[in-house]
Amino acid sequence: MSYKNFKLVRLLIVFFLAMTVSIAISMENVLLAVSAIGIGMILMLLIKKNVKAVLVDEMVRNIAGKSALIAYSITVPVLAVLSLVFMFSNLDNEGSYFYNLGLIFSYIALFNMAVYSVAYYYYRKKYGSDEE
Amino acid sequence: MAQMKNNIKVLRAEKGITQEELADKVNVTRQTILAIEKNKYVPSLELAYKISLFFKKKIEEVFQYF
Repeated sequence: MSYKNFKLVRLLIVFFLAMTVSIAISMENVLLAVSAIGIGMILMLLIKKNVKAVLVDEMVRNIAGKSALIAYSITVPVLAVLSLVFMFSNLDNEGSYFYNLGLIFSYIALFNMAVYSVAYYYYRKKYGSDEE
Repeated sequence: MAQMKNNIKVLRAEKGITQEELADKVNVTRQTILAIEKNKYVPSLELAYKISLFFKKKIEEVFQYF
């Protein structure tokens, strides 16, 4: 499959997904939405395997890496600050919606930091090990 | 500030091939070749070697570091 055909098929899959998910939401049918997303993912994997053109190369990975670092550097501090604001402004009302939201934000920030640390440790070990 | 330059565009013209064809030969996208030619992206050592090998030139004949 050529890159041009791939773009067309990808557009069709996105269209199918948007249609099905919007119908599922209007019908309040979670199963339909989940199945549509599953089918969409499988179809994308199948067509990606059949594309002869290069879809991802070192420049794309480089850009993705830099973008991910920027996204991480912005997301984690914002979540951490928001969680502190929500939690400290509702200390007298610990079961409140905003207090719980702050708690969730802090866990998400911590989870992000944990994933980053594991990935960083893995790559440091892989590329920066003293072992010959 | 130090900068990488290259003469891929000239070598490509001499060989009479398009960016798309060069991209196919070295397994990257056309956008990457375009970015390298415009000195907007510095390729990895591996890609630089692949490009040099394709043109049958030494790496320093294709890429220059100022």
